[in-house]
Amino acid sequence: MLNLINTSFDNCIKCTVCTTRCPVAEANPDYPGPKQAGPDGERLRIKNPELYDEALKHCTNCKRCEVACPSGVHVGTVIQLAKAKHGGFKKGPREFMLSHTDLMGSLSSPAAPVVNTVTRLKPVKKLLDKTLGIDERRTLPKYTGQTFRSWFNKQSGTQEQFKRKISFFHGCFTNYNDPTVGKHLVSVLNAMNIGVSLMKKEKCCGVPLIANGFFDKARKNAELNMNQFARSLTETECVIATEPSCTMTLRDEYPEVLDVDNSEVKDRIFFASAFIAREFARGNQPDMKPVKLRVAYHSPCHLIKAGGVIHTMELLNSIPGLEVIMLDQKCCGLSGTYGFKKENYSTSQSIGQGIFDQIEALGVDYVVTDCESCKMQVEMNTGHTVLHPLTLLAQSLT
Amino acid sequence: MKYNSIIIGGGLAGLTSAIRCAEAGLKTALISAGDSALTFASGSIDVLGIRQNNSLVQYPFEEISHLPSGHPYQKLGAGQVKQSLHFFTGQMAKAGIQMSSHGQQNHSRLTALGAIRPTWLSQPGTKALSIAAPAAGLRRVAIINIAGFRDFQPALVAAGMKKHPEFAGVEFTVADINAETVNINARNAYELRSLEMARLLKRDLFSQPKGLTIFASAIQKAAGNADLVVLPSVLAVENGNELISQLEAHTGLHICELATLPPSLPGMRMANALRQRYRELGGLLLEGDEVLSGYFDNNKLNSIKTRLNPSMPLEADHFILATGSFFSRGLDSNQSSLTDKTFNLDVVEAGQREQWSNERFLNGHQHGFSYFGIETNERFNPYQNGKAITNLYCAGGVLGGFNPVAEASAGGVAISTGWFAANQIIAQRSGSSGTAK
Repeated sequence: MLNLINTSFDNCIKCTVCTTRCPVAEANPDYPGPKQAGPDGERLRIKNPELYDEALKHCTNCKRCEVACPSGVHVGTVIQLAKAKHGGFKKGPREFMLSHTDLMGSLSSPAAPVVNTVTRLKPVKKLLDKTLGIDERRTLPKYTGQTFRSWFNKQSGTQEQFKRKISFFHGCFTNYNDPTVGKHLVSVLNAMNIGVSLMKKEKCCGVPLIANGFFDKARKNAELNMNQFARSLTETECVIATEPSCTMTLRDEYPEVLDVDNSEVKDRIFFASAFIAREFARGNQPDMKPVKLRVAYHSPCHLIKAGGVIHTMELLNSIPGLEVIMLDQKCCGLSGTYGFKKENYSTSQSIGQGIFDQIEALGVDYVVTDCESCKMQVEMNTGHTVLHPLTLLAQSLT
Repeated sequence: MKYNSIIIGGGLAGLTSAIRCAEAGLKTALISAGDSALTFASGSIDVLGIRQNNSLVQYPFEEISHLPSGHPYQKLGAGQVKQSLHFFTGQMAKAGIQMSSHGQQNHSRLTALGAIRPTWLSQPGTKALSIAAPAAGLRRVAIINIAGFRDFQPALVAAGMKKHPEFAGVEFTVADINAETVNINARNAYELRSLEMARLLKRDLFSQPKGLTIFASAIQKAAGNADLVVLPSVLAVENGNELISQLEAHTGLHICELATLPPSLPGMRMANALRQRYRELGGLLLEGDEVLSGYFDNNKLNSIKTRLNPSMPLEADHFILATGSFFSRGLDSNQSSLTDKTFNLDVVEAGQREQWSNERFLNGHQHGFSYFGIETNERFNPYQNGKAITNLYCAGGVLGGFNPVAEASAGGVAISTGWFAANQIIAQRSGSSGTAK
């Protein structure tokens, strides 16, 4: 049985830098931090899996530990895999509901007006709190009556006319909750003479499934998505996603966490800002009119991890008249499904407090961020509307 | 995408040069592959403290002219080294930390092993001792720990200090403060690192209305009427210096904090302050990415390829390489050779493997490998196959020709060479009219 265990965590030199950057360890003393939960714990778990520590459940998988690690240890991945391997996930009805975003979307979207009204009612929220453990203080995401796909189908003919084409991985949120960002991507790319096409089928990228322990389901989705990508890429240049967590998962987590080989397509999966910034740099930049706004930019954890902040900043800075203030690179605390859970509510809120305070003090017109989960958290906790960078780009088109 | 300057490495040298560039209005990006060695640093800045013959340097700037010709300080000269440190002190002050020095003179700082090290610039929480007579005015020293915290050993500090003849007549008290006394409730006190202790104290003690008074009286009880109270640096990350001065006001004692085993809170404070300053100036910080290779043409570095965006090279007019030495993974070695990991630049002649280090690691003699690093010209441009790369500068630990540990010069070299590299870039840009878009 030698050499079957991945011991790359042994590159850890115990410097504790990961813990200095862990938002959960700072907010919640029950979490011993990524060093102990990750590489330290892994040594013990190899010896005896019973040493699996309950405390792992507090990790939000924000990946800040990996960004900070000077020794290149995949701390967050070690923790997620340990949780999966040793049955550390609670997979009740709440976890199922929160993580199966595409299923929930396809059920809720057709009845959107009803669902949206009902989920805003206090008694309903109380009921969800008591029966499922979804915190009643949390604003629940709204659904859209017209999915992005059905909107897109009506004008797919227009898209066919472009010589250059890309494939768009819209993700669950854009399809079922709010199609705005998808529509803005289409108009920005069209202004750059690039057409958009969708995969025949796509499934949730898997990020909420991984976070809640549904690894088999996530792997199935990953395999389907990779097949679809391969097919779609015969006719288009690349696959683009507008959500940082989706992009990170499709590109980096499929091989690292789910063991799904994406090497054939990996180099052709792009975060929207990265693709557009590269086009701009090559001279394909549409005419832009000034957008006279003062905005604060919040960088999402998974975008930092995937190395995408540079491209979003490049795009924001290319919009004439726009004043961009970069917020401190701190976690907003929601972490997808994490902050919806009753037991995590106070940790989640206390992690985000720094960002909320900074936003309120700046007195900006809008907050800008690429991540839908961050958007929900900031809008719930500040008086500000949060925009996607593509929305500002779309506004500046002449 | 094109920048005016791209800095590779987020440590002291990288951050200093990045701040200088951003302040001059250059479109600047800094790439850092994980946190830097600042997280392990003392929080003081050593400029030049020890001569080849192991004697202490009192006046570091005067000493520069006695250094060998290949030394980074010799290329800069004392005037520029001084200016760079002045710049650094100003930037730290703008980020909220007032560093202090004794004019042109070095002072002594204590370490967690009880050693006395020469340094030039310290945070207020580090009590500066005299360089010539470190024990002057001290009759009683109290070394105090929070019971159960394992990354600080008061008895070891006392034993180390007693070895100095200067401290022969000093009386040492070693004491603990119990967790119950200060109302902190740790799950497992022995698992806590300095940072976790600070978080615990913040939550359980200092956020309470009487927290400061409770802690002050615990110190008073443990320290008695000592002339100097030594504590591990576990009290606070942000505003740690202010907290110590408040405790001094409450107790009437002189309190000195010592950086513990990593993470070092004074080092983290410095890193946070510099990162914050860089962001305020509009600089872009790319953390967790790594430079894989560079595209060189006509003795210039045109662009770099990074691990996270391999198909999108980053272009710049000028680059600074501040990737640190072996520990920070800027330099790499195998059995027979030495390499710069990032660009494969020319490194100082390392000689025979047997001569790289002394047989005994800690016998007080210098090791050859400490001097290893990238070879540069007078302007700190490195060479590739013997040809100088004119728009690339090297700064800090990655440079060859100095011994950061034996001569106590790591911080000063990082700051001065980082500052100098940025100045070269700024000067060249004001000479030409090109701007990056």
